[in-house]
Amino acid sequence: MYGSDGFTIYDIQLWAEGLSVTLSIFLISSFLGLLLGCIVGLVRYYRVPIIGKILMMISEFLKNSPVLVQLFLVYFGVPALIAFDMTPNLAAIITLTGNTTAFIAVIVISSIEAIDFKQLEAARSFALSERLILSKIIFPQSLAIAMPLLVGLAINQLQVTSLISVIGVIDLTRVGDIINQRTFEPFLVWPIIGATYFIMAKSIERIGARLERRFSAYHISNQI
Amino acid sequence: MFDLSSMTEYVPAFVEGFIVTAQVSIVSIIGSFLIGVIVALMRVSTNKALQFISLCYVDLFRNIPFIVLIFFSFYGLPEIGVYIDAFWTGCLTLSVAVGAYVAETLRAGIINIDKGIIEASKSFGLSKFRIYQKVIMPIALTTSVRPLGSVFINLILTTSILSAITLNELTGASKIIASTTFRPFEVYVFLVIFYGILTFILSGIIAVWHRHLNKYNGVA
Amino acid sequence: MIEIQNLHKDFGDLKVLKGVDLSIKPGEVVSILGGSGSGKSTMMRCINGLESITKGKIIVDDFDVSKSNDLREVRKRCSTVFQQFDLYPHLRVIDNITLAPIAVLGQSKEEANDKAMELLNSVALGDRASAYPSQLSGGQKQRIGICRALAMNPSYLLLDEVTSSLDPEMTAEVLDILKILSKQGITMISVTHEIEFAREISDRIVFLDEGRILKDLPKDDFFSESGGKSDPRIARFLSKMGNV
Ligand SMILES: Nc1ncnc2c1ncn2[C@@H]1O[C@H](COP(=O)(O)OP(=O)(O)OP(=O)(O)O)[C@@H](O)[C@H]1O
Ligand SMILES: [Mg+2]
Repeated sequence: MYGSDGFTIYDIQLWAEGLSVTLSIFLISSFLGLLLGCIVGLVRYYRVPIIGKILMMISEFLKNSPVLVQLFLVYFGVPALIAFDMTPNLAAIITLTGNTTAFIAVIVISSIEAIDFKQLEAARSFALSERLILSKIIFPQSLAIAMPLLVGLAINQLQVTSLISVIGVIDLTRVGDIINQRTFEPFLVWPIIGATYFIMAKSIERIGARLERRFSAYHISNQI
Repeated sequence: MFDLSSMTEYVPAFVEGFIVTAQVSIVSIIGSFLIGVIVALMRVSTNKALQFISLCYVDLFRNIPFIVLIFFSFYGLPEIGVYIDAFWTGCLTLSVAVGAYVAETLRAGIINIDKGIIEASKSFGLSKFRIYQKVIMPIALTTSVRPLGSVFINLILTTSILSAITLNELTGASKIIASTTFRPFEVYVFLVIFYGILTFILSGIIAVWHRHLNKYNGVA
Repeated sequence: MIEIQNLHKDFGDLKVLKGVDLSIKPGEVVSILGGSGSGKSTMMRCINGLESITKGKIIVDDFDVSKSNDLREVRKRCSTVFQQFDLYPHLRVIDNITLAPIAVLGQSKEEANDKAMELLNSVALGDRASAYPSQLSGGQKQRIGICRALAMNPSYLLLDEVTSSLDPEMTAEVLDILKILSKQGITMISVTHEIEFAREISDRIVFLDEGRILKDLPKDDFFSESGGKSDPRIARFLSKMGNV
């Protein structure tokens, strides 16, 4: 019996709000993570002593522990340590950014290392500046290599955002939970929430495929 | 401030949580493996309907967050008269969800097998069943040890989400410890490190095992 | 008896075999020659049903290759040695050889093992029974490939360029084994680019050209000026292969 007595028009609004929270936090943490991940990756690539090692060790732990526990650590743990007014949304952004950073750093390093070393040596022997080498040789090629990995990561991180509902962020999943608790219609609520995530993931996949084609073409034309 | 010494009285609760995590993980690894094998075989079958069904399965469960799936099962199953506790709800949902990843991993292992080897076994009159049993699956499984290992390690990390449906596994137990001791920072740092080391050890074992099994496969 | 009647094989629009008629009697050793892309491999693959037949018929000892009920019988009778060896990488040498005899012929493990050891000893590889294929040289792999085929007690042995992945030294060790086999009464159909070898072992030479049989002659006729070589295409082929 799927009488939708419990549902109101406001549930659609709630859904839209949850969706926008999910998307904003996903976009913010992805952007920040991409930025920080590149920095961490470069720090490691240029073998900055100590800092590089420490950063990589932290990212290993971030990659190899549940994001939910990381969320608890930031949301419950950090304020207990430094008396800080932590909101769920801030905790979510910090945690997801940190987590994304860890994965991006690894992608950055492996993509740079995948480039032919001889090429870099040749460039260095022509006395090209390190900045020029980075922007004209390393970056475009690494991007082509990294693109599929980045797309995969984005799809994964989108799903990971759903965990922030557990610390009270009113994201898409939390909206589902709220409506589900009120209406007792799990067979209606969760498939709709699931479908929303599914469509978002598929959209990222589609955009990603287009980007991959673009950058691999750039990669090739750059070689000729 | 960083004080772990006063925590010794909570060790038993932590160990209990770990045991639950281990149990859920083992049951779900077995479950997802069995589902994964079946779905992978459907994926590579020549039957269009089976191909389509298995593709939908894989696509669906790889693109919907686990927490959404677990809420669906947790609230949905009782509605259709299936009354199982959080533990079994977790095992069931994990098996079904991770089965999709197992299937994709195995499928990659299967389609990467040299076609000539399969044709050779065909040419000697081996039945389809025997070819899968004696040639395709043994090769696909040995070459997939490492990627399957990653999938299962991910499964173990995902069990933490079962704390959201009241299961007191490692994360759930730690949450209780954190709130009764008012030491959330220490507890969660410890927990992150604990999971990290656990993952590290398991990855190591898997890597060794993979190398051992593939030593003579010419594909390691 | 293998009877190929009006065999046609298309891959989409590409017509590879355009009406091949060939019959091979028990005990015969037949070599198939022909330029690259002439359809030799395709014909061999049709014989044991690895490739479906577009038109025509192949009968092996009264069994029709295109009937699925008969195919298993055909495959029991025809064993193939492959160009790329295609040994099972995950199985030891001995298990490579005994897999099909146990699974298809229903032999007991002991029976199959005994036979396998006998074969291995005959190709001087008795001491490598428990090695894995990746631990063997190309020539050794192909000798195992031959053992694997012979373990099925086939009536017909199909060989498709079994030495072309090998360097000259290893080629010789494999060809020596095949020469001995050819004298033991087994029916052999062999695609080869080793003209000298073909000349030595064959009773008959079949020359395939663009999906048709151009010549099907007893060996001596094929290599005589008035026989096979009278055809310019065959003469050109033979001279290209370094045989004047
Ligand atoms: N599965 C396939 N799909 C499409 N075309 C194929 C296939 N297999 C073979 N062909 C084509 O059929 C033709 C004959 O191939 P075949 O392998 O039988 O030649 P061959 O006589 O064995 O040549 P070679 O001496 O090079 O081994 C070639 O043009 C080849 O490209
Ligand atoms: Mg060929």
